Amino acid sequence: MKSWTKRMTPIVGLVTVGALVTACGAGGRPSGGGDAAAVSAPETGITETSVTIGATFPLTGVAAPGYSEIPTGTQAYFDYVNAAGGVHGRQIDYIVRDDGYNPTTTSQVTNEFVFKDGVFAMLSALGTPTHRAVVDFLNGEKVPDLLVASGSRQWGDDPEAKPYTFGWQPDYEIEGKIIGQWVAENMPDAKVGLFLQDDDLGEDSERGLRPYIEDQIVEVQRYTSGNTDVAPQITALEAAGADLVLGFNVPSYTALSQLAAMKLNYDPQWFYANIGSDPALIGSLLSNFSKGAVAATNPLDGALTTEYMPGVDATDNAWVKLWQKVWDEHGEAGELTNYRIFGMSAAYTFVQALQAAGENPTREGIVDALEKMGGAAANPSLAPYRYSVDSHLGISGMRIVEINDGASDPLTPVLVTDLGDSPIEEDGSAADDGPPASGIPESAG
Amino acid sequence: MQQLLTTSLAGLTLGMVYAAFALALVLIWRSTRIVNFAQAPMAMITTYIALLIVDAGIPYWIGFVAALLSGLVLGAIIERVFIRPVEGKPEMNAIILTLGLFVVINAVAAIVFGSHYRSFPVPFGLRGFEVGDVTVALTGFDVFSICSVVVVMMLLLALFRYTDVGLKMRASAFNQEVSRMLGVKVTGMLTLGWALAAVVGSLSGLLIAGGDLVYPSYMDSVVVYGFVAAVLGGLDSPVGAVIGGLLLGLGLSVVSGYVGSELVPLAALSILIVVLLVRPSGLFSHATARRV
Repeated sequence: MKSWTKRMTPIVGLVTVGALVTACGAGGRPSGGGDAAAVSAPETGITETSVTIGATFPLTGVAAPGYSEIPTGTQAYFDYVNAAGGVHGRQIDYIVRDDGYNPTTTSQVTNEFVFKDGVFAMLSALGTPTHRAVVDFLNGEKVPDLLVASGSRQWGDDPEAKPYTFGWQPDYEIEGKIIGQWVAENMPDAKVGLFLQDDDLGEDSERGLRPYIEDQIVEVQRYTSGNTDVAPQITALEAAGADLVLGFNVPSYTALSQLAAMKLNYDPQWFYANIGSDPALIGSLLSNFSKGAVAATNPLDGALTTEYMPGVDATDNAWVKLWQKVWDEHGEAGELTNYRIFGMSAAYTFVQALQAAGENPTREGIVDALEKMGGAAANPSLAPYRYSVDSHLGISGMRIVEINDGASDPLTPVLVTDLGDSPIEEDGSAADDGPPASGIPESAG
Repeated sequence: MQQLLTTSLAGLTLGMVYAAFALALVLIWRSTRIVNFAQAPMAMITTYIALLIVDAGIPYWIGFVAALLSGLVLGAIIERVFIRPVEGKPEMNAIILTLGLFVVINAVAAIVFGSHYRSFPVPFGLRGFEVGDVTVALTGFDVFSICSVVVVMMLLLALFRYTDVGLKMRASAFNQEVSRMLGVKVTGMLTLGWALAAVVGSLSGLLIAGGDLVYPSYMDSVVVYGFVAAVLGGLDSPVGAVIGGLLLGLGLSVVSGYVGSELVPLAALSILIVVLLVRPSGLFSHATARRV
């Protein structure tokens, strides 16, 4: 008997401590459902004076060129909002961590955000492979996972499975559809070669493209992110006689594919998807190689791409004027770039949602606010959002543009569509709206 | 036909870079009997030195020479400071130490040079030659790469085979005790071996960087492929290293172009396993019999 009690004492002790710890944990994170609870005990990451949010970005590594500028834009816009008094009197505290585009690191730093920093929400975490590693974890912990900076459809096509996650940019599938239809109508004789990143980026866009240009595709080549020798892929495209190459790749691979093509004297019509086509970035990467020999004209001149928000070259656009003002007042060193505009636009949408979530925002409150905001809200992109109870996908469309002198000339009106068979339609509703005079979304919601 | 030609030429240039790196590994192996995994980050540092010089507006070739010279100095310093204390201990100690250096140098470089991508200029054009209708997918820089690797190989061959210093280096690596008794300054030879290997390593760093994107870990894949090339040729033989590099470059280019780029690392490792199973001492090694 004696030995039995002896053995049981530590076990009982352990169980008690465990129960206590669980209780404390539960107490620290209010359910957020009841309004009374939300008022008395503020939501995780929210105090009377601040809202803390987190973001993971590749600040180093293969995806860093360009993308590492996005959080500097977001920070500048939050500084602008904070200087004007914040949102409902709260300052936005924005923490960025580097994941090096490595999913293992993403998991690790996202854990830190949730358990150590206790963030209210994640904003614009970047990358398909990286974010896939944490999306279930964030939904399991009920952390709003807003405006994921990746065009994979998985962030928004099934809100029941991922109720806390929202996409942001047009997904690769609708981009593929819009590009596919345009090619079929305007270049019906082109022999199309596909240059695809071997993940969701390539798969989703190919699914969008195929129905329109199935019989025009002569070759499909995929590259593995990290393998920087793409000469064999470009060679295969040339060998198949492709005279129109559609590239769905990240910016550094645009530069690499251009270099490989130069070496082969291969000169097809290039059409890069939005995410890989920033002329300023590609131009600066390429012009350095020959110390000026390539710089005379921007190497991407004449290439086609898509555009879903006004870029730095649209200096007359009301949104771009706002971004320029924000960057001049609060930006760090360097010029305003399209990547920084991307970061500011996402920050704007977040502020919009936070305003709409009310005086005492909760995690569920901001999810509801985004779902209700839908396509009606004025937004910095060219097309309305698709947010609703049934879809957490973001911007609904884009226009096709040609790059000339580093600027983009629109070839089509803004075209909007959705996944699957939904038709592609012209839409001018969001193209000409402008920001409010203050540059900060109003709290009317 | 054009595709085969282009794929082969791409493989040839790539193979030459692997060969240069393998040569550096062979050099260290012959002069110290260890495998230097820190070769890649050492070459990366010297490439960054060249990049800083060229970006400052100074001509490319001055940067090129400066990189090679700093390789010489860096190799000697690393041998004196880090490797010397473990010399004479089991070889494994030194090899683990080079792995440690690999990590440390990479991390320090990211802090000093920043980890963003930078483009590394080339002194020649970026376009391939055209002969009639056929494009020969070699740029001026590719031709330069091929020539310089062949020259370095010949120099190494001559060094080990025909010079006194080369003989002393081999002797010190083979048996330190005996060499010392015969009057060879073994420590000096080891330092020289490291310094020369670092020069060849720097060259490979410059060759792979030219006309490509540079970032602190850009040599990481080269260390794997260069090692496979060196093993393929037999760690002992400069000619073997070059031929091993060429075979590997050609093989991987064909795999990437005709099968799929995702299989490239797998193909390299398969080659490594097959060579180790069938001819553990490499295709061109003849030292096994004597080494027992």
